[in-house]
Amino acid sequence: MVFNSIEFLIFLPIVVALFYLLPQKLRWVMLLAASCVFYMWFVPKYILILLVTIIIDFSAGILMENYADRPKLKKTFLIISIVSTLAVLMVFEYLNFLTENLSLLLAQMGIEKRWVTHIILPIGLSFHTFQSMSYVIEVYRGHQKAERHFGYYSLYVMFFPQLVTGPIERPGNLLRQLHEKKELHYENISKGMRLIIYGFFIKMVVADNLGAYVDKVYSAPSSYNSWSVMLAMAFYSFQIYCDFFGYSTIALGSAKLMGFDISDNFRTPYLAKSIAEFWHRWHISLSTWFRDYVYIPLGGSRVKFGRWAFNIMVVFVLSGIWHGAAWTFLFWGFAHGLLHIIEKALRNRFPEKEPKSKWIGYGLDALRIAKTFVLVTLFWVMFRASDFANMKDMFVSAVTNFGGGDSLGVKPEMWLYLGLFILSDLLLFNSRFDQWCDNKPILLRWFIYGLLIFMTVVCSSVNSFPFIYFQF
Amino acid sequence: MKKFLIRILMAAALLFVLNWIYTKWFFKKDVAEHSDILELVWQVEADSCRIVYLGESSNVTCGAQETDKRKISAYLAEYFPNVKTGDMTKEASHAQTYYYLLKNIPKKSTVETVVVTMNLRSFDARWIYSNLETPLRKQLVLMEDYPPFVNRLLLALKAYPIRSEEELDSLTRRHWREDPLVFPFDFEWDNVYQWDSATAWQGRHNYEGEYDPKWTELVCHYIKSYGFQIRDDNPRLKDFDDIVALSRKRGWNLVFNLMAENVDKANGLVGKELMYLMKQNHDYLLDRYGHLDGVTVVDNLNLVRDVDFIDQDWTTEHYYEDGRRIIAGNVAKALKAYYPEEYRNVDWKRDAGHYYFGDAVQTLDKNQPYGPTLTLPADSLRTDWERVNVAFMMRQADTLHNAKLAVESLVAHDNVLVSYIDVKPQIQKIGEWDFATFDLSVDPIMRNALQVKIFVYNPSDDAVQLKDMDVSFRPAYLKPGVKGEPQQR
Repeated sequence: MVFNSIEFLIFLPIVVALFYLLPQKLRWVMLLAASCVFYMWFVPKYILILLVTIIIDFSAGILMENYADRPKLKKTFLIISIVSTLAVLMVFEYLNFLTENLSLLLAQMGIEKRWVTHIILPIGLSFHTFQSMSYVIEVYRGHQKAERHFGYYSLYVMFFPQLVTGPIERPGNLLRQLHEKKELHYENISKGMRLIIYGFFIKMVVADNLGAYVDKVYSAPSSYNSWSVMLAMAFYSFQIYCDFFGYSTIALGSAKLMGFDISDNFRTPYLAKSIAEFWHRWHISLSTWFRDYVYIPLGGSRVKFGRWAFNIMVVFVLSGIWHGAAWTFLFWGFAHGLLHIIEKALRNRFPEKEPKSKWIGYGLDALRIAKTFVLVTLFWVMFRASDFANMKDMFVSAVTNFGGGDSLGVKPEMWLYLGLFILSDLLLFNSRFDQWCDNKPILLRWFIYGLLIFMTVVCSSVNSFPFIYFQF
Repeated sequence: MKKFLIRILMAAALLFVLNWIYTKWFFKKDVAEHSDILELVWQVEADSCRIVYLGESSNVTCGAQETDKRKISAYLAEYFPNVKTGDMTKEASHAQTYYYLLKNIPKKSTVETVVVTMNLRSFDARWIYSNLETPLRKQLVLMEDYPPFVNRLLLALKAYPIRSEEELDSLTRRHWREDPLVFPFDFEWDNVYQWDSATAWQGRHNYEGEYDPKWTELVCHYIKSYGFQIRDDNPRLKDFDDIVALSRKRGWNLVFNLMAENVDKANGLVGKELMYLMKQNHDYLLDRYGHLDGVTVVDNLNLVRDVDFIDQDWTTEHYYEDGRRIIAGNVAKALKAYYPEEYRNVDWKRDAGHYYFGDAVQTLDKNQPYGPTLTLPADSLRTDWERVNVAFMMRQADTLHNAKLAVESLVAHDNVLVSYIDVKPQIQKIGEWDFATFDLSVDPIMRNALQVKIFVYNPSDDAVQLKDMDVSFRPAYLKPGVKGEPQQR
């Protein structure tokens, strides 16, 4: 089930109502059933894959705790759990890519043997496998007690608001809350509704309307003039942000309605002054996952520069591959990693000096923000392009087609939607819409609600744009 | 709890205001952009129409070279000059679309009679799962029974079936595989999938004996278009039932206009099995809707000859002027019952090469064996006429008669060559009217004859009844195996 569907608008109030009407001991049953319905709305049989990973990691958690005094055995259980979870991910997300590339390689060597697989990727697999892995690692490290209730553990992996595109939760946050008794509070309902309204606005009005322009240009870059191609690149930066941020915000809101606080995934990422800061603000749950489970175990930053650079490259290449089995994603991760290293090297070589006045400081910050946005936007081309040829077409058209080609013909209202979003994003710097509304007068708040609802209904795109991160 | 209630009331008030703003300033623009079909209803209302014709592309499609390009509904209006007649036409429409259009006609409307196109092919899986269905369903969202603001929300949430090309194709193929074809006679294939595959595998060969891919494709296409049997769970039936219920509720005269299909080609290309299915589906619809109070079914299925179909290499209900006029005339005849005073006869002349002998019933037996006879003197066959279609309606009491179609060529003053074709393989019903169609070549004997006669002949004791005899000559472009590029008529 997708959030921006009539089914979800019926499903969510029913689930929330049942949640508060049922006694605490039955709530997990209802939430788990609701999560199954939510997931099975896509392709029912894929729930079996989820069940396999749940059983493996649930058992691994208990076994690790039971054999806590036998470190080697404990480690074996951890490895079995991670390998099997990754194997599932490997088969469903990467096998097509591997077989295709292997066949190409064999063809290069003159061996014409094609055995390319065509396995369909279950929705959200990368998200819930990572969430599942974080549990077993936390149990292994002793930061988390093993969950001995299969229902609660299943719900931790399958909790519907964040099941298919995160945020990737940690057991210390979500699993704990699932056991807590939640009371009906006006505050939670109000905040949840605010987040949902705002999430729908940025997804349906901003992201989907931008998507129409982006798709046009990416499908035939050479037929557009350079300005339009550059504009489409910038539009994609906002499309993917609004799409993913919108989904995460609806997820936050949906969970909040039932009193659950799930992690923020974004914090005004396009106001980042460096690539490093960008990754502190973008898809935070994934960045912190890689930080805690890959980067720090590799040594983090408390190592020599060369080793640190290696650690960074590992993290970013893995992050690229996590997004999908394609060379363009790998390249995208690599580019981010490389830039991150270059930025650090430059900072080491030319340390930042205190600006002479605060205005010069603002100006420098603005330049850094602009530089980061431009670089991130250029990297998004690798992410969005269907393949290397498409990526090349985009870059070539962006710099060689000033004289000819079609214009994108952006409708004036598109600028209004984008402008409103940018304004809201600036206002929400280091804050969240529900929190921002808290201290505003009731009339202003309700005017904003009305405006957002009206725009979501009347200005949303009527074309179908699935959530971009569904494919991961 | 009080706070909750206050907020719920405030939210309701907010939604009420938003709906009002949307309806007043934004709805019309949205209709123009996303649901222009609703404007058809507004137009009919603005024109204060009393008769409304609901149709798809059959109503508006005409030959590129035609001088009179009027719609079927426009020809229909000629019969009732004093009754305001309008139309709601949208390509690829079907019963569900018509239902939505009809239910959006305001209660205080001037509409008295609705003529609803009933297209046989629209009951077929290929139309039900057509890739035009998603855009069509999208158009209907703003016409739902909810407040406009809610309808716009449904549109924003894509609350209509969205199926990919692959899904649609898979659903269609599933029906072809799983829907059994049941015949009262032996037939070697169990379903359309087998029938189509076998036909494609065997192929069709042209007059030179060469495999003809175009002809084969056309034959397969006819099999896939008409090779189905309407069953009670066909989704179109529910939509037509809804139209009947709505018409009764609103007090409208309801006319279902069963469109003409190219039975000549179906018979010529595929044969009796396909004709059986077409006739069976036709009978099913007539049986289901023809006996309901307040409902008239106008049966045009076999009225339009091959020569009057624009698309010769595809199955459509697109007719040249003659075809459109035939349909309009037939509908007008039905509407005469509702508007006897306003009805006015319209005369129009058919093209050369077309001979229709009227709907008077004639009994043929050994006392009077000859049916209506087309007599053509020497040199009256145009050089570009290479085929001749003979179609008629026949009623038989049993199958003991010996009725034949006869083509008689007087090649010299004392030398008559006659060829007979048995009509029994095509007349399958007993005691009911059934239709037959024959596709013959205009051979050199006919072309060089002093006189040619075409007639139905029954010299036996067992009588048959005959009506609606129709003979049409046609040029070579309609020959099977040749891509039909309509020529200027």
